[in-house]
Amino acid sequence: MAYVALIPLLPAIAFAVLTPLSRQMRNRVRWIGLVSVGGALALSLAAFAAVWPGGSEEATYRASLPIAQVGGVDLNLGILLDPVAAIMLLVVTVVGTCVQVYSLGYMHRDERVGWYFAVLSLFTAAMLALVLADNFLMLYMAWEVMGLCSYLLIGFWHEQEAPRKASQKAFLTTRVGDVGFAIGLALMYATVGSFEYDAVFAGVGQWAPGVATAVALLLLIGAMGKSAQVPLHVWLPDAMAGPTPASALIHAATMVAAGVYLVARALPIFEASGIALTITMIVGVTTALVGGVIAAVQHDIKKVLAYSTISQLGFMFVAIGAGGAIAGMFHLVTHAFFKSLLFLGAGVIIHAAHTQDMREMGGLSKHLPWTTWTFGAGALALAGIAPFSGFWSKDEILYALYKGEHYVVLALAAAAAFVTAFYVARLWFRVFTGPVQTDHLKEGHAEMIGPMVLLAGITATLGFSAPFFSEFLGHAGHWPDPLIAGGSTAVALGGLALGYWAYGRRTVVLNTRSLKERAGYAYDALAKKLYFDLTYEYFLIKPFMSVTESLYRFDVKAVDGVVNGAAKAWNGLTAVSARFDLAVVDGAVNGLAGSARAAGRTLRKIQVGRVQTYQRYILGAVVLLMVWIVVKGA
Amino acid sequence: MAETVNGIAFAILAGAAILGAVGMLTTRNVIHAAFWLLESMIAVGGLYLLLQAEYLAVVHVLVYAGAVSVLMLFVIMLTLRRREDSVRPVEVSVAGAVMAFVFGGVVFAAIAAYGDRVAEMPETAPDTAALGELLFTRWALPFEVASLVLLIALVAAVWWSREDKR
Amino acid sequence: MMQVGPSAFMALAAVLFSLGLYGAVARKSAVMVLMSLELMAVAVSLNMVALSRFVTPTEMTGQVFTIFTMVVSAAEIGLGLALVLAIYRQTRSIELTRMDTLKG
Repeated sequence: MAYVALIPLLPAIAFAVLTPLSRQMRNRVRWIGLVSVGGALALSLAAFAAVWPGGSEEATYRASLPIAQVGGVDLNLGILLDPVAAIMLLVVTVVGTCVQVYSLGYMHRDERVGWYFAVLSLFTAAMLALVLADNFLMLYMAWEVMGLCSYLLIGFWHEQEAPRKASQKAFLTTRVGDVGFAIGLALMYATVGSFEYDAVFAGVGQWAPGVATAVALLLLIGAMGKSAQVPLHVWLPDAMAGPTPASALIHAATMVAAGVYLVARALPIFEASGIALTITMIVGVTTALVGGVIAAVQHDIKKVLAYSTISQLGFMFVAIGAGGAIAGMFHLVTHAFFKSLLFLGAGVIIHAAHTQDMREMGGLSKHLPWTTWTFGAGALALAGIAPFSGFWSKDEILYALYKGEHYVVLALAAAAAFVTAFYVARLWFRVFTGPVQTDHLKEGHAEMIGPMVLLAGITATLGFSAPFFSEFLGHAGHWPDPLIAGGSTAVALGGLALGYWAYGRRTVVLNTRSLKERAGYAYDALAKKLYFDLTYEYFLIKPFMSVTESLYRFDVKAVDGVVNGAAKAWNGLTAVSARFDLAVVDGAVNGLAGSARAAGRTLRKIQVGRVQTYQRYILGAVVLLMVWIVVKGA
Repeated sequence: MAETVNGIAFAILAGAAILGAVGMLTTRNVIHAAFWLLESMIAVGGLYLLLQAEYLAVVHVLVYAGAVSVLMLFVIMLTLRRREDSVRPVEVSVAGAVMAFVFGGVVFAAIAAYGDRVAEMPETAPDTAALGELLFTRWALPFEVASLVLLIALVAAVWWSREDKR
Repeated sequence: MMQVGPSAFMALAAVLFSLGLYGAVARKSAVMVLMSLELMAVAVSLNMVALSRFVTPTEMTGQVFTIFTMVVSAAEIGLGLALVLAIYRQTRSIELTRMDTLKG
């Protein structure tokens, strides 16, 4: 079983091979990344097959390699292959392989494509190492490497300003969470004296009161940063400035799910605390709702998907908080497949339409048949329509809430599911139906369509594995409860119907741009339609908006009481989310920057800019230090 | 009888080292200063020999007296436009003197307060072979890191000192 | 024949270090400052070798560390001189008093 160690090593080797090459050379041998991830996929399949009959939480393989000794304690790089890890391995390698194949088509004209594949491979290696880690320290290391790769890929087109800024924003925002994570790890180590999962969880019941809660909450902060939970979610929509396949892999399927994985792994600590589970649930349901309603008013197709990801990650936190960790993990798995599918589809759409603005799209279904069908499968899964995978996992989450008697949260989660179905319908009808607005629409390359078809197949069939998934993780499996399944299907259909009523009918799909283009004798009729469009927007979006508004207000108070961004949000219905990000979060960041600037202004007086002066400060400090040492030692 | 450091040899070498340092600081000619530094370094190499650190003595002379001094002289020559530029006015710094005196005084006080804890030199000292063995067993990793540091410094120095093509 | 203990070496090292310190502060030529820095580094190395010989002769920790110190100061001098050359090419001067563009 030693080949398990090769799974993360293969992509890491690909990165190490690609990096030192010259740019031309790297571009030529970019297939190395694909080969390495494909190899990791094959090994993961073997590892999964080895674990498969297990049906328990017991680890089937473990190995460790000491890397350092600190204060008489060994720090190990350890591998732990248990059912959860085996499932995650498959998810990461399957999606990773699909994205690499897709990228061959999507990125083929970029002149730094070799570097792109190198970073993608490094990311895959880090994610696989995170999944296989048997201690929190290694998990943290992999976690940080992923943060670096995310930064590099968001800012991949760093010649432009938006990706550059977005990469910094992502890095800094997740850093806030990581600080919490690091403190939590330190506290854990101070309590237990070890980072190993087994050693930490063994004595979790005997920890001093409050310690478990503190550690759990600090870990949760780390998870919230990585998994883009409110209020640390602001980086994810901006992260869409990166290449679309990278978004599919990192910001939809794997890295953002790492926070969920962390909470699931550290579940014994959360369970020992109790209150931490409740907080996890509250954070999750808040995020699920906020992400959903914001997604419903976005015009950028990738931003819709980004907010949707935030919302779905919220669902996973809800599940874990409600005691349904299995349901959360299952949703993680299904979401990884259908959301990466949606992102890959969005990539084809963006290539075809040459825009990301949904108002400038329409009628793509006639010209992009493959994309339409595969995207449709992903969209139905996201909306939660049987038999697509999202239905099953969402159903399990709602069932966990029902069983845990969290009825308020259940209602809120159902509302979030309703909004989800609504924005899915909005996305679908705006993009695929209605009049064509772009010429020369072309279907994607075969390299792009192939992975999408595979992911669509998985999305369509994975749901039926739901009971076996639980049994595999050592719990009793069950088929959907008719009450919950019926209810959730009704909610989803309701959302879809509302979306159709608002966007699917022929009268409302025209908008300002097409109006200008078709000016002439039809002007009056179009103007009327435009008027309808606006009216529908006004009457329909308003209920959603008032919910959105109040949520923003809550956030404004919760996050930063000083910044009064919500008042401005009244101005434009569709711009509200952007304003929220700008006013609240940037305001807080700017406030920090302001105080740093004030401190700098004071300190600047000693910064005369002359080398010799600095040198004197330094040497003077050395002398003073020496004096202090001698005087203290005497 | 325990082996000791020869007092007379020490006095001569220490005097030479200090003379070199003082000469370096007081001369007005930059090129002369480089040669004074060279003299001081050779004296320190001799002190290493007294301490039975033969390998270090050789390496020290090679690195400091050889490579570094030559490098210094090259840079001095490259940055002088006329021969007369090498002669500089005597520079006196009160701040420097105060700092040096405070530092020296404090360290001297500390040495005087503690005295010679170890009066005699231990009899046997391991030879170069033992040092090599230590270096490649116990200190193997830092040793490799050190080589990496040198490599990076080499590349960076080439990078910085090349002609600007823009 | 006089006997010389470790304190004599430490005193010598202190003298050399102080002289280097003075030179680093007083001299205004970048090359001279680098030379003074070398003198300080050598003083420290001398201390380590002497104490290693007197206190723990078999471990030779001081000698090993002196080797690392040499590596670092060799790297430092190489980079320092490369920097001096680069600065000279830009400003036609290696006077520290003229290097005053660090102010942001």
